[in-house]
Amino acid sequence: MSILTEHTGAANHAAHEQGQASGEPPLRAERVTKEYLGGSRVALDNISIDIKENQITALIGPSGCGKTTFLRLMAGLEYPTRGSVTAYGKPIMGPGPERGMVFQAYTSFPWLTIRENVQHGMKIQGFSKAEQRDRAEHFLKLVHLDEYADAYPGELSGGMKQRVAIARTLAQGPELLLLDEPFGALDAQVTWEMEEMAVDIIERESKTVVLVTHDIQEAIYLADRILFFTRQPGRIKEDIAMEFKQGRRFAKKEELLVEPGYVDMEKRLYTMMREEIQGRIS
Amino acid sequence: MNDAPLSGSVSRADLLVADDENLKAEAPLFKPPREQFLGLRGSVGRYQSMFLGMVGIIALFVAWEIAHVMTPENQQKFLPSVGQVVSKIAYLFTEKGYIADVAKSVYRIYVSFFFACLFAVPLGLFKGCFAKIRALINPTVGGLRYLPAASFVPLLLVYFGPTDFAKLALLFLGCVFFLTALILDNVEAVPKELIESAQTMGASRWHIVFRVAFRSAAPQILDSMRNMIAVSWTYLVIAEIVAATDGIGAVMMRGARFLHVDIIMGGILTIGVLGVLTDLSFRIAGHFLFPYIRARR
Repeated sequence: MSILTEHTGAANHAAHEQGQASGEPPLRAERVTKEYLGGSRVALDNISIDIKENQITALIGPSGCGKTTFLRLMAGLEYPTRGSVTAYGKPIMGPGPERGMVFQAYTSFPWLTIRENVQHGMKIQGFSKAEQRDRAEHFLKLVHLDEYADAYPGELSGGMKQRVAIARTLAQGPELLLLDEPFGALDAQVTWEMEEMAVDIIERESKTVVLVTHDIQEAIYLADRILFFTRQPGRIKEDIAMEFKQGRRFAKKEELLVEPGYVDMEKRLYTMMREEIQGRIS
Repeated sequence: MNDAPLSGSVSRADLLVADDENLKAEAPLFKPPREQFLGLRGSVGRYQSMFLGMVGIIALFVAWEIAHVMTPENQQKFLPSVGQVVSKIAYLFTEKGYIADVAKSVYRIYVSFFFACLFAVPLGLFKGCFAKIRALINPTVGGLRYLPAASFVPLLLVYFGPTDFAKLALLFLGCVFFLTALILDNVEAVPKELIESAQTMGASRWHIVFRVAFRSAAPQILDSMRNMIAVSWTYLVIAEIVAATDGIGAVMMRGARFLHVDIIMGGILTIGVLGVLTDLSFRIAGHFLFPYIRARR
């Protein structure tokens, strides 16, 4: 994807590439604790973890386990109470275009056309007009929305709006893609189409991705590694590599279902989820 | 769960054979229950809506006309007929230069409202975007909302006398605080995710304030303006009662002095029509300013 590396736009992009060369992990949490309400609620309890380059890492766990909080710390939308989160060795001191985020809620700007939406992040960062046009075209094609470039978000379905969000986030040229339950508001069939499209896109663009999801199947299908969070206090209960996939990503979801080891993995995660939920009730 | 009851009955396969011809034929049209006139959240067509609206207006005039006819003859000048009021308005326009008064009133409304917007939009926007500005200003502006605009009349008279400025100031005070509060609500209603996604795109604070928060709230802000300018019209007569020589309110006050109820009612009717036209102008502006709202599927 030459188009991805050729842009000269943002000054801070040069800084990212230095960061990448330094050998530091894309994201590192060191003894991170996040408290709310003056410490009466511990969302995250002393978490230390590295996110690996070019991997898809899924964060799953029961509702309220702090997985979204953890993602928001990585995005720089919130700060830890204790400890530190670093991106390529640099402490995260706020949100930035090098860490693109896709939200569960639809975030396309309704007053801009689809193309203008995709160009918006690039415009902010000072990409040239020609770059904006070319990259918008490239990423709209990638999410199969090139025909809708001049439509407004209000005219699109939920799945299409999320594709706009993905194209827009990729177009700003992030090193990291943070996905916060991106398909959570979509119906089952659209979710499934979107998951397959996500695999395709992430494979082509070779991105480091952190995905928050409550869907066990989705996590196994997309992720190379799953971090299972416990609830109250939020800790990482298990760090599970998807070894049965042997480093492959599957274009079709049904290909995964027949893979030896898939059922065991799904059963294991369901069991863990049940333990967490029951532990809470009793 | 239990197959037993099914096995004894006629299966679907049997039915298919037995009524083969019947099943192929097109089924008769299904007749849903007739929609009630007052169906809950029922639908209303475009022309039906216009028709019903006309019915309402005509009903009002008919009721007025009946009231006029039923009034004893020697009292009828206190409740003139629709025709008398309309012909009085025509007379005022042709003989009394009423158009200048109407123009003056419209000018007062729009100029005062323009300055109210100039004040309220940035204030509401900054309050909605910055918690500290909100904490600084809100208790003051929130309290001022409760002061009736009419209570400023004596003060404005002392300060500015019977000038045009005093009238503009009253109309301004009548709506600026409410408008600020409404715009604050509009800006606060901007989804948090829009702001946050702009942040993750690397947008600066000012970019987010003007290009995201304001832009996102703009259609609702225009709606707030439309509602507040209606309130401004309601203050017009109060503003023009006091030592005014021109404007619709002054014409009405002169009518009152000589018990010309037809002139008073003509003034009321004029304000009503102008109010509707103002509302319409805001709707048309919204139609062109925010084309994307029409593009909903």
